[in-house]
Amino acid sequence: MTTSQEPQATFDVLLVGVGGQGVLTIGELLTEAAFRQGIPVSFYPSKGMAQRGGFVKAQLRLGREGSGPNIPLQGADLVIATEVSEALKGLPFLRPGGDFVLFAYVWAPTEVMLGKAPYPALEEVVEAARRTGANVHIISPDSLPVHEGVPVPANVYLLGFVVARTGLSRVLEPETVAQAIAARWPKGADRNLFAFQSPCLPLSASPHHPVTDPS
Amino acid sequence: MRKLMTGNEAVALGALHAGATVVTGYPGTPSTGAIESLLALDPPGVHVEWSTNEKVALEIAAGAAWAGRLALCTMKMSGLNVAYDSLISIAYSGVIGGLVVYVADDPGVSAGMCEQDSRGFALMSDMPLLDPASVAEAYGLTRRAFEISWQVGTPVFVRLVTAVAHTIAPVEVEEPLPAPAQEPLLLRDIARFTKAGAAICTRQHRDLIARLERAGQVIAGMGLNRLELSPQPGGLGIIACGVTASYLQEGFVAAGLDPDLLSVLRVSAPHPFPAQPVRDLLRHCGTILVLEELEPYVEREVIIEARRVGFAGRIVGKMDGTLDRVGEYGVAQVTRGIAVALGHEPQPVIALPQPDAPQPAARPITVCAGCPHRGTFIAINQAIRKAGYKKDQVMVTGDIGCTILGMNPPFHTVWSEVSMGASIGLAQGYVHAGTPTPVIATIGDSTLFHAGIPALVNAVQHQVPLTVVVMDNGWTSMTGMQVNPGTDEAFQPPGSRRVDIARLIPALGVEHFFIVDPFHLDEMTEVISRALALPGVKVVLARQECAIQAQRRGRRAGRTRVLEEKCTLCKRCILVTGCPALSIGERSVVIDPALCYGCGLCAQSCKLGAMEWEENA
Repeated sequence: MTTSQEPQATFDVLLVGVGGQGVLTIGELLTEAAFRQGIPVSFYPSKGMAQRGGFVKAQLRLGREGSGPNIPLQGADLVIATEVSEALKGLPFLRPGGDFVLFAYVWAPTEVMLGKAPYPALEEVVEAARRTGANVHIISPDSLPVHEGVPVPANVYLLGFVVARTGLSRVLEPETVAQAIAARWPKGADRNLFAFQSPCLPLSASPHHPVTDPS
Repeated sequence: MRKLMTGNEAVALGALHAGATVVTGYPGTPSTGAIESLLALDPPGVHVEWSTNEKVALEIAAGAAWAGRLALCTMKMSGLNVAYDSLISIAYSGVIGGLVVYVADDPGVSAGMCEQDSRGFALMSDMPLLDPASVAEAYGLTRRAFEISWQVGTPVFVRLVTAVAHTIAPVEVEEPLPAPAQEPLLLRDIARFTKAGAAICTRQHRDLIARLERAGQVIAGMGLNRLELSPQPGGLGIIACGVTASYLQEGFVAAGLDPDLLSVLRVSAPHPFPAQPVRDLLRHCGTILVLEELEPYVEREVIIEARRVGFAGRIVGKMDGTLDRVGEYGVAQVTRGIAVALGHEPQPVIALPQPDAPQPAARPITVCAGCPHRGTFIAINQAIRKAGYKKDQVMVTGDIGCTILGMNPPFHTVWSEVSMGASIGLAQGYVHAGTPTPVIATIGDSTLFHAGIPALVNAVQHQVPLTVVVMDNGWTSMTGMQVNPGTDEAFQPPGSRRVDIARLIPALGVEHFFIVDPFHLDEMTEVISRALALPGVKVVLARQECAIQAQRRGRRAGRTRVLEEKCTLCKRCILVTGCPALSIGERSVVIDPALCYGCGLCAQSCKLGAMEWEENA
């Protein structure tokens, strides 16, 4: 918990991905956790017209009383991307020295699948992310931890990663995020809490740990 | 008590806590969440409904307010255009109880439709307008809006932008007020509630102007526009309207300015124009910066006021080209405005493209896996060919909602989008223009009820040769699944009655009426291609429930599977349907079982018999 003597730390998070990946759920859980900790919070989700499969962006601002919902360019302390190509849209918002977390899933538009339109290579995206001066974390979608025989939900795993391994750990307590998870899914709490806590385990103790930071 | 909520919920709760007992509206992003939250809350003694369209919704709310109640009416900016005929009349009459019109604008266009500034409607109707800077203000100002409406007897606008309507933030919730307890009033006063003749109408006009002036006094008394003057005169004065005020603090830090040296007027009630604090600011400052999204409504009034008080300094904003009339504002517009006002080199407000940076893939939006509209788009395309035409020879007008997604690949079916119901009117114009080929209009179910019926009646009356394809999926889907008059009674609020499009169309005098299943491609193609050749008005009703809603109840239309040994990876199924559940595997096309609804359209598109479809009963 933050103490009243310290000035409130600010922390801005930009999320980008594709509708249906649970991007907004990550933001909603972080919002709920911040609220439980008494941290000023603003969460601005924006999705396009489509119910599923369209570009999704969301902006979470922590520790700012009365600030507007839009994060300025190069203002985000953390960019979370859940799709390789859409990740590029988050890069201009990264603050040098911030964290960039990419869940390296490829959701190919039809034209790309048919070979009629280009799609950026993962290496290009990683290289562009590096040029922003951020700490780059890449998570492979093929190596999600398994719970009772089924891979865990990627978004909750990713949530666990950012709470444990990025600058966000200075602001949010894992316990309050876990409370927010348990409150959201009373029935699926076990599975989701397992997904959330997996990245907190030491690397050697987690055989499925998928972090492959190319640095 | 502090609660987390969206701006939409804040408006809804603000209205509820002000004592509103009638709430109406029509879904439209970004305003939809207000009524959604009240329907979920189901407060006792409060009537909440999705109405047929915004004009109807407003008339219901106004009737309740004329009977002495407090009423809220909600809509997106396009909906205000629909409601406006009645709104002007209601504003000229004034209200007895309280009437608040919540309209949501969408600067930057996150959802589609014109990037209009609804504050302009406040000028036209002489209605007070409140423009909250934040979610917390949305709650408080909605309550104040009812106080103003009640005290002055005028309808009042609460206008949110997407960045306030959709944002989730903590709100300090105040003690709710009880709803007015008296019996409904039945007040006969033709001088107020009719428009018959010059004597009545000119008096109403004078009363309207007087009410706006009185509202200005009430707003000033409430202190809704907050002026802070710097200790030393002569410096920069900033007028920040609505949400732009929430970016000032960060802007000052980014520009390296000491806020104590600046004067700021935060405008949360831009109409009637807050002339007094603006005059005070003009007399105190050497340069003025006006920050407002979209149109320079406040800035123009500031320029007029500056002339009145003999202000000789510069006024920086949109009129001098510093800031844009397009898009959403943030910190960058604040720092740019400050830089220009102080004579510094301004920074660009958007990221400049890097010359050799990788580009994100284009992601045109399409209909969901299992969407019945997919079958309709494919059938229209096939029917045009079957009737002997090329696709670019046949006009297919489009309408609002998910049905417009037929404009995108792989269908390229729909040509235009104007407003609710406009597809049927536009199509008649193409016929009268002498188009030698058949003309097709497409429209959804909610859209037909909303504003399509008058145009269809017109087509019948004038016997315009036209094929109207009504895509009835039983829900108002694009805004997130609301009920409409045609929704199955099982999903309507208790006591509602379904209005069946299949009974409505013949009753309008449509002679050629067909009902088809968009998951039966050959049959639907045959019906449309036959309809194209018939005289007069033809209506094809394509019926199949929205797959998202059906799947939420565990329904599947059928089962589709790929016969690996027969699939040659020709990709025809993907080319024709563009279904997100299909992808290219190593040896065959692969169906994602989590996404597939079993509509069978891919199997029906396959020429090699490499897919099997078993339809559920």
